[in-house]
Amino acid sequence: MTRVSENQSVRGLVSFVAENKRRVNEFSNQLTTGVKVSRPGDSIDAGVISRYQQQIGRIESYSNTIAQAKSYLTFQDEVVSQANDILVRAKEVAQQGANETLDATARGHLAEEIFQIRDQMAALANSSYQGKYVWGGSDDDDPPFDQLSYTEPATGNANKRYVFDAEPGTSNSKSIKVTDDISVALNSPGQKIFGASIEVLERLSRALAGYSTTPASGTPDGGGSAFTFPTDYHTQTQEIKKCIDLLNTARDRDLIPERVSIGGRLRRMETGEALLELSKNSAQEVLNRIQNADETEAAANLQQAQTALQASYSVTAKVLRLTILDYV
Amino acid sequence: MTAQQALLANASNNIANVNTPGYSRRQIEIQTQVDPAALNGLLRIGSGVQLGQISRMTSSFLEASLRGVISNQGKAEVRNDYLARIENVFSLTGPQSTVGSALNDFFSAINQVSINPSSLDLRLNLQQTGEDLVSTIRTTYNEIAKGQDELDARVPQEVEAINAFTKQVAYLNGLIASREAVGVSAIDERDQRDTVLAKLSEKISFNAMELQNGMINLSLDNGFPLVSQQTARSLSTTKDPSFATGDLPNSLSDGILCYVVYNYGTDTEPSHLDLTKTIKNGEGSLAGVLQLRGYADPSNTSPFQADGELVTLAARIEMLTRTLLTNVNQAYRGGDENAGTPSFSEASSADLNGNPPGVFGLFDFEFGGIKDANNDGVASASDLAATGITSFSRMLKLGFSAPEEFAASRDSNPIPGSTSFQSGDSRNAQALLDLRNTTFGFALDNHSFNGTFDELYNATVSTMGSMKASAQIELDVAKSSYLTASNKRDEISGVNLDEEFANVIKYQKAFQASARMIKTAKDLIDTIVSLI
Repeated sequence: MTRVSENQSVRGLVSFVAENKRRVNEFSNQLTTGVKVSRPGDSIDAGVISRYQQQIGRIESYSNTIAQAKSYLTFQDEVVSQANDILVRAKEVAQQGANETLDATARGHLAEEIFQIRDQMAALANSSYQGKYVWGGSDDDDPPFDQLSYTEPATGNANKRYVFDAEPGTSNSKSIKVTDDISVALNSPGQKIFGASIEVLERLSRALAGYSTTPASGTPDGGGSAFTFPTDYHTQTQEIKKCIDLLNTARDRDLIPERVSIGGRLRRMETGEALLELSKNSAQEVLNRIQNADETEAAANLQQAQTALQASYSVTAKVLRLTILDYV
Repeated sequence: MTAQQALLANASNNIANVNTPGYSRRQIEIQTQVDPAALNGLLRIGSGVQLGQISRMTSSFLEASLRGVISNQGKAEVRNDYLARIENVFSLTGPQSTVGSALNDFFSAINQVSINPSSLDLRLNLQQTGEDLVSTIRTTYNEIAKGQDELDARVPQEVEAINAFTKQVAYLNGLIASREAVGVSAIDERDQRDTVLAKLSEKISFNAMELQNGMINLSLDNGFPLVSQQTARSLSTTKDPSFATGDLPNSLSDGILCYVVYNYGTDTEPSHLDLTKTIKNGEGSLAGVLQLRGYADPSNTSPFQADGELVTLAARIEMLTRTLLTNVNQAYRGGDENAGTPSFSEASSADLNGNPPGVFGLFDFEFGGIKDANNDGVASASDLAATGITSFSRMLKLGFSAPEEFAASRDSNPIPGSTSFQSGDSRNAQALLDLRNTTFGFALDNHSFNGTFDELYNATVSTMGSMKASAQIELDVAKSSYLTASNKRDEISGVNLDEEFANVIKYQKAFQASARMIKTAKDLIDTIVSLI
């Protein structure tokens, strides 16, 4: 027969009560914090939890970056789209100007509109976002297009000349990471997008205003002289016609591809964002499963533990009250 | 009647000691009295009852196994308590930053800076996350180092308690032997000695051997006699052991770890015997302290050559720190990639003011001496070694102090020897970002890990978690085996009040019956006398 001494029964009862109390405490903690694993020792999955937390943190930071980059690219999209629109208008004016029914004075009036368009184009190329020039490459504190002048005329609108600032770094583009493996360029060098447009607008406006531009093709070098009318009237017409072609080239070769490219980058970011969201959700799901407490389960467990605690209290009280002294 | 009285007295003594720790219930043996004279007669009616010996109801086997589980519990408790504290710096919830979250924030801030490298706001954010990262690394390391220091400071206290207990055992050995040699029972002393042994076993595990004369000899696993007969050998702790020839192992906080020794020599000319390793490999709270704290042979001077859980954790953090100081700084500063052959004396990156970063430009450490010992412009492991610093995690700081000093741009001048940098260039920041997914071969003394920063941290959390979880399991197991072992012991040695009360009634009845016998005898005599 097993002897059960007083110490044994008390020790047993006390340890049952203590264990049940600990369980009540554990489950009520789970319920109030909603978290099952709060320290590494709480689960063998601590390393896994830490890995998922990092993954989610990383995804959140990428999402953040993408949101900022998207607004940056959307801004560029708008600017390039405006540039495209005014170039279309410039072509209309040029076609009108190429008509030989107009005399030099009438062409001079058309020149005024092209001057406006040229200045607008330069302003678009020099646009800034959050205080930094978008198309300045990595040299974003200086406007990418500097204003110089033509030798002839010495003053006036036809004298204005815009030249891309070819300092080191201006041909770089900024890029950021949108996921661990994907880097996306944020901007393109300004010369590539706006260079040709500005050149042709200058050439066109000067032609309409009655000035030739040297060299006859390619990037203007700042030279050129006034046409003499009526001798040069036909030359002027040829110059204007040439500009129509150049306007087409500038649009087709530079502006439209850039819009497409911006659109493509935006789409890539959106795809990236969706993918990140997807993997964030699945990571979050796993994390919830292993780290967070299932409330129903925790509540049921708490109820069970409370019942067990009450039972152990009642048993303890009953057993300890029993003594032979009551019967002698 | 005297016999019944003695039995009653014993029962009341048992009842009185029902709650005395270590008390073993006593039983008085009673036997029929043998009367040699009666042998000559025809009938042997018997001549009554006689008191035999008082015996302790105890089992030396159960006592020994109880001591074993007490030792296990002592060790498990220490390990569990300290690991629970360290565990908090690797928290998986809450707002406080951990090394893992700080790393993530830092790299995120670098990516943000790339969007607009000359924005001071973004740079300020980067600087703050950088400060946060280095301070989190420092705090994490220091918490672990502090844990080691506290454990180290606990060693002498534990040793003192052990010495007090072994002295008591030796003293009680003397009492028991001298009493029992002259036939006097020494059961109270034996109870006391068992209690002291139980207390001692909470601190340290030992082998106990009872001798013929009732004394108990105690020895450690390597045979070192803690108590032999009436002599207790007092252990001591030292940070200057006589067996060490050169520099001693450093602690994580650059101190010296103490050794548990026995001094065969004198105080002035010590001759130490190292018992640290033997005790560490045993059980008991001192073993728990030493196991967590770690132990290194005197010839190993690096704090990370020691074993022990805390050292493993700290080594992980230190490997991270050293990689930040070397590989990351190298990538950050770069060599002029346009200079043909890499010429590291010229940096390939620059800050917002166009100044190249220093050799320890991104992550730096507090140190008054020369940091780039070989002056090659590259932050390398040999430069770190040359400083003589044992743990860099304690001194880690951010390499730049103003937001514009973060070097985000790269040289875009193709001419060797000439450089040009633009404020809007973020290629260096992007290059740094690549390090996040770079696999490094982290190595430090006998610790090594292959993986990314994140993987290193996750593995550390995993290690921490399994250490803590296993300490918890050990503790749970030790507690339940303690319950079982003490129940087993109490099954034999414990006092059962019901039993004692029943005995009291039994003895009382016997006493009454004996008294009645006297009255009956008196009545008989009275009858005879009245006949006369």
